[in-house]
Amino acid sequence: MAFMFRNQANPWWQALWQIPAVICLAAAIGLAANQWRPDPLALPGDWSAGTRLGDAAGAGLAISLEEARRLYADGAAVFLDARPATQYAQGHIRGALGLPWQEVDRYFVDVAEKLDPTKPVITYCDGAACELSRDLALFLREMGFADTRVLVNGWSVWREAELPVEKSAD
Amino acid sequence: MNAEPVHKDAGPRGPGPGDPLGTAPLLRRVPPLLQHGARWFLGGVFLYASYDKILHPQAFAQAIFNYQILPDAAVNLTALVLPWLESLLGLCLLVGFWLPGATALSTLMLTVFLGALAFNQWRGLDVYCGCFSTQGPAGTADLGTLARDIGFLLLSAVVTAAAFSRRGTGPPPVRASRGSADKPG
Repeated sequence: MAFMFRNQANPWWQALWQIPAVICLAAAIGLAANQWRPDPLALPGDWSAGTRLGDAAGAGLAISLEEARRLYADGAAVFLDARPATQYAQGHIRGALGLPWQEVDRYFVDVAEKLDPTKPVITYCDGAACELSRDLALFLREMGFADTRVLVNGWSVWREAELPVEKSAD
Repeated sequence: MNAEPVHKDAGPRGPGPGDPLGTAPLLRRVPPLLQHGARWFLGGVFLYASYDKILHPQAFAQAIFNYQILPDAAVNLTALVLPWLESLLGLCLLVGFWLPGATALSTLMLTVFLGALAFNQWRGLDVYCGCFSTQGPAGTADLGTLARDIGFLLLSAVVTAAAFSRRGTGPPPVRASRGSADKPG
């Protein structure tokens, strides 16, 4: 092993200083470039759920499970599943319509016909960090469904609360 | 079996001073032009991958956050530094600068990316890849993404092995691997 440290032309030795050097250089450029941007990223950023779920105007999108459950019981809201169609088929909130955000162009017209613009719409996906429901909700608000809310981590919390679910009939 | 000229410093019996990874016998079967081609290709891939992320740090930060692997506090820092790291790495690979470090780092990063992708596939998290584009639904991570990363990783392994077996370290032309550059320093 001694040869490794005796010989500076040794590739291991070179890698040993080149890797940190290139990382430091990237960090310096990246941080400097951020300062020059008109909209620099904050360091560290705020990734809490409350902040992430605000729309551009700062209005909250999130709906609590309690409120969602009440609207569900009254049949007062339409639930939209923003996950991919395969996951919707494997199980979803009973009565929810599938509107996969990733294929929203394909499904939107069909689903929109079944929506009542005066009724609240509740979107959900799975995982606290899942953005599909939020993106879908912002899109629906733009499309005129003003009362669109997000049930954060909806699929998981709905099942944990043992509320009604169903699978798609094939 | 061995039709190529014998390399004095790259013995067939495992690692040695000129061939710390012991891959020279294997590398001899990969034509030098292919080795350089792989390096240029990989450099291009890294450069291309960095471009959109440098332009849209906010969207890239979102992609990193969605992976749900890094602590929240590290998300923005990574979103700012990683694209530049990729572009510097791409440049190094393209022009043949700092090759031992660049190739080792490339292999390391591709391994980490592969791990992150595989981890989220395994736990069923549906995330945007954020690999080449920070925009929208086009880039959902799936098994194809995994396969692509494995391909890049294999290329990177070849390029790394070439850089670490002494004869491949410079930016030098294809012919350098066949003669005088082989003398041990």
